[in-house]
Parts: sequence; C-alpha cells; structure tokens
Amino acid sequence: MKNSFLAALAVLAVAACTPAKPAAESTQSAPDPATQKWAALAKYPDWTGVWEVDWRNSRGMPAKPAMKLTTEYQAKADAYRAAQKQGENLQSDAANCVPPGLPGIMTQPYPIQFLYQPDKIVMIIESYMQFRQVWTDGRTHEVDPDLTFYGDSIGFWDGDTLVVDTIGLNPQNRVAAGVVGHSGKLRVVERIRRVDHDWLEIETTLTDPEVFAEPYTSTTSYRRLDDNIREYICLENNRDSADEQGRPGIKLE
Amino acid sequence: MSTQGLVSLAALAALAAISPPALAHHSTAMFDFEKTVEITGSVKDFQWTNPHSWTNVEVQSGAAADVYGLEGMSPNYLARNGWTKHTLNPGDKITFAVHPLKDGRKGGFMVSAKLADGTLLYNLPHFDRPDAAAAREAAATGNAPGASPPAPRP
Repeated sequence: MKNSFLAALAVLAVAACTPAKPAAESTQSAPDPATQKWAALAKYPDWTGVWEVDWRNSRGMPAKPAMKLTTEYQAKADAYRAAQKQGENLQSDAANCVPPGLPGIMTQPYPIQFLYQPDKIVMIIESYMQFRQVWTDGRTHEVDPDLTFYGDSIGFWDGDTLVVDTIGLNPQNRVAAGVVGHSGKLRVVERIRRVDHDWLEIETTLTDPEVFAEPYTSTTSYRRLDDNIREYICLENNRDSADEQGRPGIKLE
Repeated sequence: MSTQGLVSLAALAALAAISPPALAHHSTAMFDFEKTVEITGSVKDFQWTNPHSWTNVEVQSGAAADVYGLEGMSPNYLARNGWTKHTLNPGDKITFAVHPLKDGRKGGFMVSAKLADGTLLYNLPHFDRPDAAAAREAAATGNAPGASPPAPRP
C-alpha cells in the first residue's frame, strides 16, 4: 500500500517535470476516429430548421394519385366507409392520443426536425412528440424484427437524397385514411431531398403484397420554418375521444 | 344550441375555414363545420394546453350564466400564429365565432375571437382564396393537398 502510494507520487513528479507538447505538434496529429466521424457529417446536406407539411399547397403540388388496393383490402375499405354512414369510424384512436406510426406520422400538422449523428439520423416529430431512428452506419435490416409503430429503418445517401427503407411496422398503422391495417409486410421507402432553401420533398413508396395491387408512390412538400420543436403532450388536456366503433366524444367539464 | 346568446352568422358561415392541424388529432365529426354561430360572453378561463387549447366562456342567460366550452387550436399552432397564453384572459368580454357541437351541448370549436377593442383574431386557420372550397373539402376528408394520400373510394 505504502509502496504503491510512493510509486504514484513518483509518476506525478515525472509528469509535472515533463514539458508540455508544443501546440504545433498536436494540431498536426490526425484527429481521433470519433472526431473524424463527427467531422464527416459536414459533407451531408444542411437540413437546419424544422419542416412542416405545406398544408396550403403553395407550390401547387399535384393531387395524390388514387391507391390501387387488392380485392381483399378494397372490400375492407368499402366496409369501413359504409359503417361511417351509420356513425361509426368517424374518429380514429388518434383522438385517444395513440400516435399514428409510420407512414401517417410524416404528414401531421406539426413540424419535423432532422438530427445527424455518425451512425444514424434521428427525426424529431413534434406531433405526439415522437422520434424515428434511421441507421446510416451500413447495417442491414434486423432479421424478424418486432413489429413496431416506426419499424426498423436503415438509410443511405444517394447524392443529396436520403433514402430510408423501413420494415417491421405494426399492422395497426394505417397506410391511408379509411384503410385499416396491413399485413405486417408493409415496406416504406422514403426519398428525402431539400429542393431549395425553403422546401424539402419526401417521395414515399408503400408496398405490401396483401394490401396494394401495385406499389403506391406519392410526394409531400414541406416548408422550412425558422423555429424550434415545441412540446406536445397529447394527454395533457385531451377532451376528445373515440369509442371502439370510432364514434367521437368530447368532454366539456 | 337554441340558447340565448347564439346567433347564426351568415357572413361567418361563408368564411372559408379549414382546419387540418386540428384534424390530425381528431376528426371534426362532433362539430358542425357547416354552421357558424356567435357567442358573446366573459372568459372564465383560457387553457393553453395540448392537444387543444380550451376556453370556458360565461354567457349571461337571464339571471344565470351558462358556461360554453370551446375547443381551439393547440398552443403549438397558435404560438406560431401570433397567440400567447395571455391572448385571452379571465373576465375579457369577447365575441366568439364557433362551429357548434352537433349534440346540442353548450360548446363548439373556436373559429375566431373578437376582442372588446374590435380586434379580430383567427383561431382556426382560414384560407381566403378561390380554391378555399376544395381546401375545405380536403380538410373534411383529412386529406389536405400534398399531405396524406386520399382513401380509395368505392
């Protein structure tokens, strides 16, 4: 014990006597790998700001094409719509603050922010305060992933376009209003690009052999807001509700 | 909604109102978006909360006062459009334009608030443009242009 204490003192004494390295030498040495990883992010497009769906369609984007569903899912959609005439299916579980998951979460009223990290891009989504992780470290999809609201996302850069490929999505997620559920084989491919200073576009392709007769592709335009993400706790003061048949309710007191 | 203090406002009904930000969280199914009525009363409280703001308004009805509950846009939307938690205050005398509840209870969705000095503040987004009718239809179906894809129709 005593010897080791003395040895430690000796080490400190030597350290104190060693002259500091000249500044020039430290700047010439290669940055450590962690620093290099962060520095490499500088080559990616700058998506600073928060991005909000262009609800006013001020760029005159074309109307969304019609979805071509399989016979099975078209019948489901027809039944859903028929029940609306009976007062059902007028409200979704979103009224009970259940987040919509992918793809619906990408076309909510509040903005999205993109954060770059060396191994992933994180989307901070103001609506329902959700986040998505897109792995950009070259990994492949999980084998037999759990089916979750936002699934398993991997991404890569194709020039200035981020391509995000997502599988493993919860069959509860809706591919569109009025189309309930999917097979669990839903795949969402998003091509995200900043088209100019104020606009970002996301082209989204949905495939699911049991739901779609052919892949469905649509493009959504997002406006840049010089703003930050705000808090959104849906259960803070939620007075709206949907019952099991989708009938709406509201609490006044 | 046949209570004293509510007056149908044809002029406001003609106003093209659209509410996609409200629709993400719920549909407009419980409100009559085809109808706009006016409520004049005194603010009881203004709840600056998510997912919606909420305003209780006391409307004099003879010797007593009825309380009307008005759902409004969220602080997230309103703060980006000039409102603050101090925009409405207890005791303020305000004339509200409202899409009433379909079930006849005393409440609705706040379209706008006219302050005592005449200032008109919009709560719901409003589009004053030629294709407003199409935009309103898009909102009613939850499919604003450039947003989520339309549901297939039979």
